[in-house]
Amino acid sequence: MKVLIVNNMAPFVWGGAEELAANLERNLILAGHQAEILRVPFQWEPAEAIPTQMLMMRAFELWNVDRVIALKFPAYLIRHPHKTLWLVHQYRQAYDLFDAGQTNLPPGEQGEALRSMIREADQQAFAEMRSIYTISDVTKARLARYNGREANVLVPPVNDPERFIGGESQGYVLAAGRVNAMKRQHLLVEAMRYTSPKTKLLVAGPPDSAADADALQRLVDQHDLGDRVKLDLRFLSRDEYAAYVNGAQAVAYVPYDEDALAYVTMEASQAGKALISACDSGGVLGLARHGETGWVAMPHPEALAGVLDQAFADSRRTQAYGDGARERLHAMDINWPSTVGMLLQ
Amino acid sequence: MRIALCSTFVPFIYGGARNIVEWLQVMLERQGHTVERVYLPEVDAPDLLFQQMAALRWIDLSAADRVICFRPQAHLIRHPHKILWFIHHIRSFYDLWDTPYRGFPDNAKYRGVRDALRAADNAALAEAKQVFTNSRVVSERLKKYNGVDSEILYPPVFDSERFECRSFNDEVVYICRMEHHKRQHLLIEAMSHVKTAVRIRLCGRSGDVSYADHLRALIQKHRLDDKVTIEDRWISEEEKVELLADCLAAAYLPLDEDSYGYPSLEASHASKPILTTLDSGGVMELVSDGDNGYVADPDPRSVADALDKFYMQRDETRRMGVRAAARLDELKISWTHVLERLLA
Repeated sequence: MKVLIVNNMAPFVWGGAEELAANLERNLILAGHQAEILRVPFQWEPAEAIPTQMLMMRAFELWNVDRVIALKFPAYLIRHPHKTLWLVHQYRQAYDLFDAGQTNLPPGEQGEALRSMIREADQQAFAEMRSIYTISDVTKARLARYNGREANVLVPPVNDPERFIGGESQGYVLAAGRVNAMKRQHLLVEAMRYTSPKTKLLVAGPPDSAADADALQRLVDQHDLGDRVKLDLRFLSRDEYAAYVNGAQAVAYVPYDEDALAYVTMEASQAGKALISACDSGGVLGLARHGETGWVAMPHPEALAGVLDQAFADSRRTQAYGDGARERLHAMDINWPSTVGMLLQ
Repeated sequence: MRIALCSTFVPFIYGGARNIVEWLQVMLERQGHTVERVYLPEVDAPDLLFQQMAALRWIDLSAADRVICFRPQAHLIRHPHKILWFIHHIRSFYDLWDTPYRGFPDNAKYRGVRDALRAADNAALAEAKQVFTNSRVVSERLKKYNGVDSEILYPPVFDSERFECRSFNDEVVYICRMEHHKRQHLLIEAMSHVKTAVRIRLCGRSGDVSYADHLRALIQKHRLDDKVTIEDRWISEEEKVELLADCLAAAYLPLDEDSYGYPSLEASHASKPILTTLDSGGVMELVSDGDNGYVADPDPRSVADALDKFYMQRDETRRMGVRAAARLDELKISWTHVLERLLA
């Protein structure tokens, strides 16, 4: 089957949705289909230009395509008789971000007109879909609340599960993922002040800004934690990253109210590593279960210190939690072959 | 520099128009530029043309420092620094209008579409900072129909230093998609007239199975099994390099192509002379008879003569091979030149 993935392009910017589209393309091909990605430039500034870009999507003609899988607004407005929506996000500034007062739509009548135009177009596009999936529970809830549309969640699978084979612990807890205030790696570094001397932490990942990196380094220096906390704050290759995960005693991920299961927790689970998380980490708690796949603590340094120590206290129990995490992930059936199967159903 | 390369495409159809874009992308990135490739769908159905042209006008690429546009109607994209590397018109409304290839009636409606299309093209061409084309014939059409002057920027092949000349065996190779208008059949028919032990090898995927069957039937009919090898399949880049390194010469016999074609370029990089015909179109921009190959009449006997000459006059064949490589420099067919002009 000829499957065209339709996505937006913010020219010269490559992010998570681009990565998702590329991996979907790769896995469609692995499943024996022809696949290609159409990326259409979209600029949401100025907001007044959004309607012409919506119209632009409607004006394109798609020939020689059996199926369309669309990911984002306004890409999903494209006309095709067999469209499936795998919703990454709508134009949130016309929905929940509008309600939260974080919108680029102008105030007053003009903004209202834009907002209703976006909503109307969405309603029409959703009605055209053969089926609707979202990438997370949060996106699904938003779609139900604002558009009255039911959807099934298809969590984007780990892209390279073969890298996360697990392995002997090298004696550190890994705190992975992008480094910023919302991901709260600083809580884990502060927790290290209260841990036993044999507990070690490795923070590895790309900082969003130099300030994010400096903040962590200052904490390490200030509390003289240099011998037990290692910071490797940069973009890691997949090989480097997987080696860190596979060599961890456990993997800690304590973001504030994350939308999704998160790649970090899925990859750690795939590698059979026990998970450490916080009770307000949101979607992550779908995998991080206290006493089953790891530990869930209060988001405070002292509380986190307790569970960091526990990860080293009984390695047999830690490994049992790691096995539990892998089992839980596999029970969710989040893998590319079944995802591709669902999207083409 | 942030450069957007803009072209149109039909999903799942891969051809030369994608090569020129994707190879240029690699070359620009090697020079340290940030490149975004923008492929937008377009079908040339006359009744759907204008809505699609409107869509192209609404594309916002203001994030780019400059845009380079290729396949039609990508030249309609708006940008303050727009460069065109124009590879063809929508030909049914231009040079093919008075031919059987038009595909729709010559009536008031389609004359209206034609005139509006030409007006839109003229306006878009006028917006461009620079107009380059890929061949003399496209430049001539731009002049004739749109009154626009352009500069020819011959598209090079990718990583041309892969090609080498090792030896000269007895085989003339034709490495190209097998299609009727590429006229592999003419080369086979010529083989029933050759007087020497020259052989030919046809390699490439056939767009249409019946044409490959037709070629096999011709080989049977003329009992040429021992003189003609046919490989109806995808030929890898590595295989191509190997074949060209040892062949006697290369053939490229299309019927009235716009441009000189990658097969003749690849042969030149391997220092092998080229066999073509008087009616091949753009290939004539590259090949001069007796200089870097032979230009035969489009009939089997004349083609057979040229094949025999390659075989008999080895020194001449070798000399023309050296000339073929030199000819590329004369026409400035290189990425260095392309980048210099596109970024000027």
